[in-house]
Amino acid sequence: MSNINQEVINVILEKLSSVEIKIKNVSFNCIYYKYSRIRTSLIHQTDIFRSVSDTNSIPSYTHYKFTINYKTLNLPFILDNGTDSKIFEEALTIALSLRSQDSDFHWLEKFSLDSDSFSEFGDDASGLPVCRQKIPRTRGSSSRESMFRFEMESRKAQYTKLRDCSIFVGTWNVNGQPPPPSLSTWLACDPEPPILYAVGFQELDLSKEAFLFSDSPREAEWERAVITSTHPGAKYRMLALIRLVGIQLIVLIHIDHYGYVRDVAWDTCGTGILGKMGNKGGVAIRIRLYDTTLCFVNSHLAAHQDEVQRRNQDYRDISDRINFRKPLKLLKSMSVYNFNQRLIQVLLHFSQVYWLGDLNYRLNKLTHEEVKRLLHFHEISNILKYDQLGLEQSGGRVFEGYTENEITFQPTYKYDLNTDKFDSSEKARAPAWCDRILYRGKGIHQVTYRSHMDHRISDHKPVSALFRSDIAVIDEAKQKKVQEEVFKLMDKLENEILPQVTVDQTEVLFGIVKFKEPVTREIIVANTGQVPVEFNFVNKINEDSYCKEWLRISPYCGSIEPGEKCDIRFEVNLEQHLNKFEDILVLHLENGKDIFISVSGDCQRSCFTASISVLCRCSLPILLMSPEQLRLAEAQQSLVLYSVPRELWLMVDFLYRNGLKTKDLFESTALHDDIMKIRDWLDYGSLNPILDNVSAVAECLLLFLQHTKDPVIPYYQMEKCALCTNFNMCQMIIAQLPDLHRNVFLYIAMFLKELLKHSAENGTDVKMLATIFGNIMLRNPKAKKDRPQVARGKVTFVQHFLDNDISGLIMPKQ
Amino acid sequence: MSAGPYNYSYIFKYIIIGDMGVGKSCLLHQFTEKKFMADCPHTIGVEFGTRIIEVCGQKIKLQIWDTAGQERFRAVTRSYYRGAAGALMVYDITRRSTYNHLSSWLTDTRNLTNPSTVIFLIGNKCDLEGQRDVTYEEAKQFAEENGLMFVEASAKTGSNVEDAFLETATRIYQSIQDGRLDLNAAESGVQHKPSQPGRNLSNDLHQKDNCPC
Repeated sequence: MSNINQEVINVILEKLSSVEIKIKNVSFNCIYYKYSRIRTSLIHQTDIFRSVSDTNSIPSYTHYKFTINYKTLNLPFILDNGTDSKIFEEALTIALSLRSQDSDFHWLEKFSLDSDSFSEFGDDASGLPVCRQKIPRTRGSSSRESMFRFEMESRKAQYTKLRDCSIFVGTWNVNGQPPPPSLSTWLACDPEPPILYAVGFQELDLSKEAFLFSDSPREAEWERAVITSTHPGAKYRMLALIRLVGIQLIVLIHIDHYGYVRDVAWDTCGTGILGKMGNKGGVAIRIRLYDTTLCFVNSHLAAHQDEVQRRNQDYRDISDRINFRKPLKLLKSMSVYNFNQRLIQVLLHFSQVYWLGDLNYRLNKLTHEEVKRLLHFHEISNILKYDQLGLEQSGGRVFEGYTENEITFQPTYKYDLNTDKFDSSEKARAPAWCDRILYRGKGIHQVTYRSHMDHRISDHKPVSALFRSDIAVIDEAKQKKVQEEVFKLMDKLENEILPQVTVDQTEVLFGIVKFKEPVTREIIVANTGQVPVEFNFVNKINEDSYCKEWLRISPYCGSIEPGEKCDIRFEVNLEQHLNKFEDILVLHLENGKDIFISVSGDCQRSCFTASISVLCRCSLPILLMSPEQLRLAEAQQSLVLYSVPRELWLMVDFLYRNGLKTKDLFESTALHDDIMKIRDWLDYGSLNPILDNVSAVAECLLLFLQHTKDPVIPYYQMEKCALCTNFNMCQMIIAQLPDLHRNVFLYIAMFLKELLKHSAENGTDVKMLATIFGNIMLRNPKAKKDRPQVARGKVTFVQHFLDNDISGLIMPKQ
Repeated sequence: MSAGPYNYSYIFKYIIIGDMGVGKSCLLHQFTEKKFMADCPHTIGVEFGTRIIEVCGQKIKLQIWDTAGQERFRAVTRSYYRGAAGALMVYDITRRSTYNHLSSWLTDTRNLTNPSTVIFLIGNKCDLEGQRDVTYEEAKQFAEENGLMFVEASAKTGSNVEDAFLETATRIYQSIQDGRLDLNAAESGVQHKPSQPGRNLSNDLHQKDNCPC
C-alpha cells in the first residue's frame, strides 16, 4: 500500500492523459499547498492543487482534497491520509469516464449563452448589468456526481449488510438430445432450495436449422424441463433466458426475492466459424440482486485435444466482447443500465462473475487406459496434474482472477450414450473434465462441486456447484443517513471552494481633488481562499461602464492565485465640476461573490470648470468667493461685472502682451506643474504676476475654453453654426447667442486676428487657428461624435470670423 | 452502487434582504454551515452560498445571495433581485427601525422580482426575548396583510432557520407543480433539470408516492 505522494500523482496523470505532465512546487507542508500549474503538451492546461480540508488540525492531516481541473472540468476528491493509491486512480478513472459521458450537461444547453461556457443561471441573466449568469458555475454536475459516488462507495460498509444467498450453478452439454422427464436429481439435489438458479446448456440443438435460423424447438423443451425440475421447496420465476445456437443460459429467481432484482441484461458472443459464428462462444446474463451485481457466463469453447490456444483465445474474446449493450426488459420496474462502450472488459466490473460451460479443456498426455487406471485407484488429484485448464490457468494464460474449487468427481466426458462408461468407440477419446464452473469476485463461498452421473442421455455428465455468496443489501435508512452526511460534506466543500478574497479597504477616500490634478489610491486584494480567483469590475444596472469617466482602475480585471495578492490602483482625474464625487464599484469574483467598493472625494472649484456666466459675475478669484456669492452668481441673480470672464481676460492679455511673436504658440506643450501653477494663480488670486511662461498660458487658455461648464457656442446652436455656408449666416447666428457667450467668442476671434497679423513670427495661419479653436469653442456633448460635415463646418465657422472684418459686431459694453 | 445520485432536479435562486445588522449573513451561515458566526463583519457586497436540500423527494440546489444591508448600497443591490425565486426578508426583533423599514424592502422586492417569487419574512434574533422591540403578533399581522410567509428565527441558536429556507423551497416547488411558476419564464429563478432515464428510477417512483404535497 503506497501513500499518496507526488510520484503517484505524476504517474497517474501521465497514465490517464497520456501526455507528459510535470508537477512543480508541490509541497505537503503548508496549510494549503502551493497551487501548482501543470502544462501539458496539449493546448489545454491542467491545474492541480491540494489542501488539507481541516485547517485547524495541522499537522495531523486527515484528508487530502484534490481538485484537478482537467480542461474545463473539475474532478474533486477527498482521500484519507494514507489512502491506497489505487483508490485514487480508480476514482480518477471513474470521474474521467463520467466526465466524458457528458450526459449530465444536455439540459444545460438551453441555458448556456455559448456552448463553451457552462452556466447554471444562463438566460435569465443575459440582460443583467452585473454578469450574474456566471456566478454559480462552480463545478460540472458530472464531476459532482462522480465525487458523490466515490464518497458513497468509500462509506459503503456503513450502510450495507451482507446477506448469505445460495446460488445454484449448473452446466451440461446435452449433445442435441431432448430433455429427459426430470432433471430434479441434478437441479434439486440439495436439502434447501437455492435463491437463484443459473443453468447453462451446450449443444442444445445440433441441427442445421438451429445454426442457420437460430430457431429451435429445443429451447422451450429444456426451459420447461428446468422449470419443472427446480427445488420443490420454493417457487421460481424466470429472470432471463438467452440462447446462441446451442449455448443456452437460464436464470431463475426464488419468487420471494424477485422484487429485489434489477438491471437485467444479456449479451452473446460467437467465437465459432470465422471467429463469430455461434456454434462456439458464450452467452451472459447480468442481474443486480439486492445491491450486488452478478454475472453468469455460459460458454462452449473450441473442441479437440490440441486446441488449447484456441480455447484460451475464445475465453479472451468472450471476456472482451461481452458488454451488455442489449438490455432485456423483463420487469416493469427494472431500469436499464447502459454501460460505457469504452469500458472494454466489462466483466471486470462486476462484483461477482460465475463462469460455467463446456470449456473443452482436456488432459495432456494421458491415454484412455491410464486415466481409467488412475480413476480405479481414486487418484483424481494425480489426473488433474494433466488438466489443460489447470495448467493454462496457473500459467496465467486463461481465466486470470478466477477460482475453481477442487474437483472430486470423475471426468464428465466422454461417455457412451445411456451408460456411465467412458467412450468405448474406436476413437476411444481420453476422458476429460470438459464441463467446469469457475468464479471470481468477493464473498463467494462454494459449498459443493459435483457431477451427476445418473443423467445418461448425453456423452457429457451434468455438473453443478452450489454457492453461498455474500450479497450486499443496502439498509435504506442508514444509506439515507450516510447520504445526508455526504451531502453536507459536499455542500461544505462547495462553499469552501468558492473564490474568497479580502480587500484591505472598501472605502477609498480621495479627499479634495483639483482640476486636472490626478490623485491615486491603491487597494490590496488578497486571495484568501483555496482556488485561483478571477476578478473584474462589472457594470451596475443602467450603467454602460463599470466606473465613472473621472475614474481609472488598473487593472480592472485579472486573476490572483491562492495566497497571492493584487494591488488595484484607482486614479481620479477631474475635468468637470462636481461638488462631491462618489461611486460604488462592483468587484466581481468569477463564480463567487461581489464586493462593493465605495470611492468618494470632494472637488475643488476652479475657474476652468465654472460657467461663463458665473465667472462674469465674480468680482474675485473663484475660491475667494463666499458660498452665498457663488449661489447668487449660479442663479444669475448677481450683477454681471465683466463682459468676458476676468480669468479669460488675464490670460489673453498676457498673451497679447508677451506671446504675439512666440513661435508655435498653441502647438507646444507646457509642463503640467506650470499649468497647475497658473490654475492656482487664477483660482486663488495673487499679488504676484501670472507665471511668465507663454506656452503654459496658451495651453491654459485652450483648457479654459475646452472645460467651461457650458461651451462658448451652446450645444443647441453648435450644429447650426457648423452648417453655415457664408459669413452672413454666421453673423446672424452669432447675434442670437447669449450676450456673454457672444462676447467671449468675438473676444477670442479678435485676439486670433491679432495673432494672424504676426503670423510671420509666430508661424500661425488661419486654417490652423480655426481648427484648434473651432473644436474647443464649438464643443460636443461628451461621448458624441461629429458627423464629418459638422467637423469641417466648425472650422469653417471660425474661419469666417478670421477672414472677415468683425469690428462692427462688437457690441458696446453693457 | 445504488445510492441516489447527488444530482439535483432544480436550482432555486434566493436573495436575503433587510436592514444592516439584522443578521442576514448569519442566517445564511447558519443554514449552510450549521454554525453561528459571531463577530460577523458587515457584508460589503453580495455573498454567495449554496446548499442542496430535499423537498418532496426532489433534490434542489439553493443558490443564496446575501446582500449588503447598508442604505448606501441599496441602489446597487437592487440589481441582484432579478430572477430570484425566493426572497428572505429579514428584520431584527430587538430593533423596531428594522421592522419599520420592511415596507420599503417589500416594495423593492415586489417591483424587482416576478409575481411568483415567494417572500418569506424572518424576525431574527428571537433568542433575545428580553430585548424584544417588535411583537410576534404585529409582525404576524403585517405578514398576513401582505401575503408573506412568516417565522421568528434565531441565527444564533439555529431555531427555525432551516424551516424558513425549506418552507420557501416547498412553496416554490408547489408553485411549479401548480403551474403558477412558469419554468420557461426568463426570470423565474428556477431551473429544472429533467431526471435522467434509467437512473434510480424505482427510487424516484417510490419517493413520489410518499410525497406529502
